[in-house]
Amino acid sequence: MIQLDDRLLALRGQVREWGADFRALGLALDRDPELIREHFDLPAVRYLSTMGIPPEYGNVPIPIAGNRFYGTLALERAIIMEELSCADVGMLVASPGPLLAGVLIDLLADEQQKDWFYGRMLESPLWTFFALTEPDRGSDAGALSTTVVPATADRPALLSGAKRYVGNAARAQLGVVFARTSPGPLGINAVLVENPSTGFHAEALETIGLRGARISAITMEDVEIAPERFLGRHLSPSRRGMWAFVQTFNLLRPGVAAIALGIARAAHEYVITHRTSLRRDERDRLDLLARRIDGARRLVHLAAAAVDARTGDGYLASAAKVRAAQLAHDATQEACTFFGAGARLEHPVLDKLVRDARGMEFIEGTSNMQKLNLFQGLFTGKLDRDDPFRTAPLAVV
Amino acid sequence: MTTIARADQWSRCHRAARTDGVSAALTELATAVLPGLLPCGPAGHAIVPTGIAAGAARVWADGVTVDRGAGVEKALGVVELPGGDVELLRHQVEPGANGFSPAERACWTLGLVWLRLGLSEELRETAMRYLNGRRTGNSTLLQQQMVKSTVADGLIEHLEVRAVLTGIGPGELPDTVLNHLHAQLTEADRALVKLLGASGYLAGGPGQVARVSELLAEAYCRPEV
Ligand SMILES: Cc1cc2nc3c(=O)[nH]c(=O)nc-3n(C[C@H](O)[C@H](O)[C@H](O)COP(=O)(O)OP(=O)(O)OC[C@H]3O[C@@H](n4cnc5c(N)ncnc54)[C@H](O)[C@@H]3O)c2cc1C
Repeated sequence: MIQLDDRLLALRGQVREWGADFRALGLALDRDPELIREHFDLPAVRYLSTMGIPPEYGNVPIPIAGNRFYGTLALERAIIMEELSCADVGMLVASPGPLLAGVLIDLLADEQQKDWFYGRMLESPLWTFFALTEPDRGSDAGALSTTVVPATADRPALLSGAKRYVGNAARAQLGVVFARTSPGPLGINAVLVENPSTGFHAEALETIGLRGARISAITMEDVEIAPERFLGRHLSPSRRGMWAFVQTFNLLRPGVAAIALGIARAAHEYVITHRTSLRRDERDRLDLLARRIDGARRLVHLAAAAVDARTGDGYLASAAKVRAAQLAHDATQEACTFFGAGARLEHPVLDKLVRDARGMEFIEGTSNMQKLNLFQGLFTGKLDRDDPFRTAPLAVV
Repeated sequence: MTTIARADQWSRCHRAARTDGVSAALTELATAVLPGLLPCGPAGHAIVPTGIAAGAARVWADGVTVDRGAGVEKALGVVELPGGDVELLRHQVEPGANGFSPAERACWTLGLVWLRLGLSEELRETAMRYLNGRRTGNSTLLQQQMVKSTVADGLIEHLEVRAVLTGIGPGELPDTVLNHLHAQLTEADRALVKLLGASGYLAGGPGQVARVSELLAEAYCRPEV
């Protein structure tokens, strides 16, 4: 059996404890996503606000059972995300921190850019954003059309275009925007943008669920981009644009899967807590759900270990994300059947879980896109057919 | 109270759901089947257009009609939808009310399936329009085989539900069958909503219509035990 070591079990235990605050605030935050501003002092929010910043840049997270977890590993993040999402996913996605943008910075930025970005993140809790999706291009992100016109002798580079569904952009102070300097996959660049900036405008969109994420529509018109804001300017074009967001997504995907898993677990736990006696058939259904959650968790952890070992190995993570997003969907729907007519009207938490679960299909690529990626891994032999977990070093006991 | 079950009643409600949205279709159904009443499900929940919530003097509680003032009512929220908002509420009817009318209930429950079928068919059309307007490579999203397969799956559900409903009058299908039809429509909606990408996750749009459609089934169906 695959098992987490004592260090990671301690991390899980601590984050689970922190989660109690999140659960208590979940419904209120769903009504008012700005409520998070009043809770920056919660231990989980404080932790998330620097999660992913490596120690050499001055990150000193609070020790857990004598260890410091910097959140730079996908497996650590998967454990943290599942626990906090199970407590309340809205609070998790509303919390400030470097998350998506931070992973890209870690992968792509030069020393000076890292100093600047991490330095700001350590000064005070800031929201960041990661703007890839466009109004006309979602799944086919490689065809993005936002442009960054290179600098000339008399003016800096200028960023123009539109992005959509970008988490926390309306309230973020800094983030990354993907834009192209020329046609084709090598023409894509990631640039750091501060908010406010002249010509940059972001507005929150009202969503059905995951309301804490404050997904936003962004318009950019001739936003000036200084040369030092081009991420990976020290790297070759093939390592900067599309390659960078594919790798970033590989690293983040197990965490997204873990969020979905956390929602499924929350639904399961809700039934256990609120239905004191169960009929035999109900118990069986609940047991089946528990087995599905457990199976998906193993896959998520192995997928995380695989990308930690090699960033390019995102195929297992695609499998894990499809599986976990479907599970969140099914588990929340199933949970409603335990509470009779009008279950969701009577149980706001259940209604919220169903609404939140729906969003997991889209974050970081839809199921269709994940399946196409998974197939590609199998077809090209990049996913080892005989030993798919070969590169995923997890303790087996 | 007279309830006249006529075949064109269902088709009007079905058509209204397709062309004018949840609010218009519910008004059509409620006016035809339960005029002047606030329609509530087995646990007292109602999902109704604002006009009906405001105008009903009496409550219809899954087949039993009582004065609105007789029970305790609680507003549970308002959902904004294209074509008109709906209100969610719960009316707690005192147990022991008598005068159960199976005919009205049969009309209402059958009409509700036609209504949800109309909403789901419209969702399919909306998804196809959306996908036809988006490109990947040198083709549209609608022409991707995985997408076509999902659209076809949705269509198969719609066709089967419609096949079961066709030629059926009120009371001819037991609750178990009606519940199954609702479950089929819920599954179809969930798959079709995914085709809208994140645009289907925005409040006030087609994803919200699908959510309310699902809540209608949950509020008005008698759960199986
Ligand atoms: C809560 C939330 C948070 C988000 N956060 C961010 C963020 O921080 N930054 C960001 O950049 N974006 C973000 N997104 C956007 C997300 O990445 C996109 O929604 C997702 O990539 C899908 O794009 P789309 O919505 O345009 O759907 P489309 O691309 O329009 O897809 C529509 C449908 O077509 C299918 N499809 C598309 N192409 C194919 C194909 N080739 N083959 C088969 N099927 C296909 C899809 O599976 C889907 O079902 C977020 C979305 C949500 C809901």
